[in-house]
Amino acid sequence: MVPDPNYICSVEKPEDFDSFWEDVTKTLGNIDIDISCVLDDFRSTEDISVYEVFFNSLDNIRVSGWYAVPSKHSGKLPGLMLVPGYQSDPPIPREWAKKGYACLSVNPRGKVRSRSQFDPGYPGLLTYGIVDRNTYSYRGFYCDAWRGIDFLLDRDEVDSERIAVTGSSQGGGLTITTAAMRKEVKAAAAGAPYLCGYMDAIELTHTYPYEEINDYLRSNPGSRKRVEDTLSYFDGISFADRIKCPIIVNIGLQDNVCPPETGYALFNQIGSKNKKLYEYDGHGHEAGRYIHSRIVDEFLEEHLGQE
Amino acid sequence: MSKNRPSDFGSFWYTVGKELAEIPVAPEVESIPMRSTDFADLYGVRLSSIGPYRLFGYLSIPKGDGPFPVIYYVPKNASVLEIIPQGTSNEIRSRYITFSLACRGMRNSDSPYAAMYPGQLTDGLESHETYVYRGIVADTVRGADYIMTRPEVDKNRVAAWGNDNAILAAALHDSITHIVSTPAYLFDPIESLSKTDSYPLAEFGDYIRSNPSNSDMARSILEYFNLRWHAQSITANTLIMADHEDGIYSTETLSDLKELIPGEITLHGSERSSFKDGLFAENWITSEMFGKEVSPIVPEHWR
Repeated sequence: MVPDPNYICSVEKPEDFDSFWEDVTKTLGNIDIDISCVLDDFRSTEDISVYEVFFNSLDNIRVSGWYAVPSKHSGKLPGLMLVPGYQSDPPIPREWAKKGYACLSVNPRGKVRSRSQFDPGYPGLLTYGIVDRNTYSYRGFYCDAWRGIDFLLDRDEVDSERIAVTGSSQGGGLTITTAAMRKEVKAAAAGAPYLCGYMDAIELTHTYPYEEINDYLRSNPGSRKRVEDTLSYFDGISFADRIKCPIIVNIGLQDNVCPPETGYALFNQIGSKNKKLYEYDGHGHEAGRYIHSRIVDEFLEEHLGQE
Repeated sequence: MSKNRPSDFGSFWYTVGKELAEIPVAPEVESIPMRSTDFADLYGVRLSSIGPYRLFGYLSIPKGDGPFPVIYYVPKNASVLEIIPQGTSNEIRSRYITFSLACRGMRNSDSPYAAMYPGQLTDGLESHETYVYRGIVADTVRGADYIMTRPEVDKNRVAAWGNDNAILAAALHDSITHIVSTPAYLFDPIESLSKTDSYPLAEFGDYIRSNPSNSDMARSILEYFNLRWHAQSITANTLIMADHEDGIYSTETLSDLKELIPGEITLHGSERSSFKDGLFAENWITSEMFGKEVSPIVPEHWR
């Protein structure tokens, strides 16, 4: 099966997309972030200091994260936010700290350590509250990631002019929405982006997690129009034209989780003039990670390396 | 390599098995219509393991007349319980009974014990009695006990699929006929620490660094779980999915494991592509379960 690089997804950006998200971010901005950042001796090493982080997000949900920085450094550090996959447990980003970044690995609501107030479960998160844009799970979930940028901006050791975001799968989708909504992001690297072209993805592939939506529609066939309406506000493709920072995207042409067609459709809508797509034939959802991780390193070094 | 097989290895696991045998499985089965399709029905299953501790699993049964072969997705070192692994064609549920089990600490089996990730691998590592993985292995075996109670099961075709626990399931439960395993942290775990700072193996490194006075005890406890000492009990046909040549558990590292397993074994080195590796595993299990003339059921983009 050869994916069409000119594939166009069916999602249409709502006319009131910007005002919807402006209202959401305004509400978010009125919530005191109330950061807690406590050194975790158990997870720290001689070279890397690891902190357990908590902060407030939309609906006053307490969101957790792991923050890792080089123990010894001089001057300001580039800041990096690592955003997690759908069902993976957010990692402690010691590897990124080892490369010289002050790195926050954020655990949006419902994930381990962030699930005491909100926990739709897995499967479940992808369709929770999906009949209304104001109740959909990802309304808060996206905000949790965006608030991670506020955390980095709050840190004395982070250079606020050198902040990037990266992740793969759901992390790729969150990279897209974060780069679109936070002008402080100076570079973004998105892998195998999920949450892009939802309604096409559920036809192009029949694997979880997208299959959650097919399960939902089979049980709630009368809700299809409402589901489509809601998702149009959350689709990474609707966010893409807002991205202005340098960005790279990598996709696997045999991706069995996030169809490569949706990756192409996303990339073609990205507004940045400095964008590059890496297509990996012979690769699935890892999207050429073995080869591409070096490219991400070089890309981030190019855009964040110099103080 | 580790050379320290505990002298009471056999009695340690005999005791676990005896403890498990004294706890009834006591299954409670509930239909989940939302995740059922025109080719398979899905159920939520609650059952008991040692403690006693109630566990949760997802059981999918193909529509039509059985018996059907089984893929038992063994408990993971991760918080989320999936119905079938992410990226697997949902249609495999038309061909196999699938059963995925959350061990204690994972979502849906997290009351009263909710594990953290990282964290699960070192909880209670202070003593043999308190180490949580003893219970996790018992949970894994209990999952196989439950499967064998189902009348729809073809008892000649029962595969355990997952990471290290797939090997432990087959070593400790003789109903497992096939294994697909990607070892990640229990083959010579202490000796492997020097190769990586990455989790999950790094959990052991964190523990030993922070508890130097207990490091000898931790090392000795982990030997009971070392795949090296379980390998000789395996008679199932086995596929080991190794890392690529630079990885922690490369084919070179796992060649010892291959030699120790008396059953028929295939050792596959990663081609650094989830597509190629995944397709290899799907082809292997289909061939083993249905013969070489039957095609595997794979996701659209793998066709």
